[in-house]
Amino acid sequence: MKTESLAWARLQQQAAAQLHPGFADRVIRAARAGAGVAPQFLRPFAVCAAMATLGLLAVSFYRVRASTEENARNLAGWQEIAAQADELDQTL
Amino acid sequence: MDQSPPTALGERVRRAQRGDDDALRELIVGYQHRVAGFVFAMTNRSDVVEDLCQQVFIKMVRAIERLQAPEQFESWLFRLARNTCIDHLRRMKLRRIFTPFAPEHENVPEPDGAVDSEELDALRHALAQVRPQDRALLALVQEGRSHAEIAVTLGTSVAAVKARLHRAREQLRQHYQPPHEN
Repeated sequence: MKTESLAWARLQQQAAAQLHPGFADRVIRAARAGAGVAPQFLRPFAVCAAMATLGLLAVSFYRVRASTEENARNLAGWQEIAAQADELDQTL
Repeated sequence: MDQSPPTALGERVRRAQRGDDDALRELIVGYQHRVAGFVFAMTNRSDVVEDLCQQVFIKMVRAIERLQAPEQFESWLFRLARNTCIDHLRRMKLRRIFTPFAPEHENVPEPDGAVDSEELDALRHALAQVRPQDRALLALVQEGRSHAEIAVTLGTSVAAVKARLHRAREQLRQHYQPPHEN
């Protein structure tokens, strides 16, 4: 198929024309500059992980604070009961 | 087009693996047009060619030192190109699922001047009817790769390559209408 071969050749030319001059240098610069940087597809995962960590931290902070307050309230209650019991012992 | 003999290519790859920027540049310049043609054939769009080629060669630069067999550089490079294109096509498919596209966004036309011949337009129309994996096969054949080389690139057997190639050619022939027949 002669026309098909011609079309493939045109496709090749068209594709080659999309690459601007200095392509190789740009690639090498970009590869060197981005070495060690996380690939782009990992960024959404990194954001999700950061959000999840923040959420966990907030929940655990709230739970620790609520439990400390409850302990303090319980302790105060027990201290009051103990004081009343002592008072009762002394009166008897 | 890089027509250097295999030993010269192997030597160039080894220099690139040692971090020689000139060797890397020679490899990129030698293969950039072929990879661009392959990317165009696989994605069927000219406006993504440069971006995807850049991704392919950046991956090449970063991973070349891990290439075990420098003589198989070409197969390895085209495998990188194929995987990059497939990732791109998957991303586009996902984007279409999650983005509420209006009907006018479904088939975004090529930029002005992108399709400048009827032959190319007819080929692009026919390629659009073929699965991306089969487009990769057809593009590799156009590259002049042997069945064995294609099998290495695609990680499959020669028999499977022959069978898929036969089917892909049939499909392309079915949909390819040369301009003079219209």
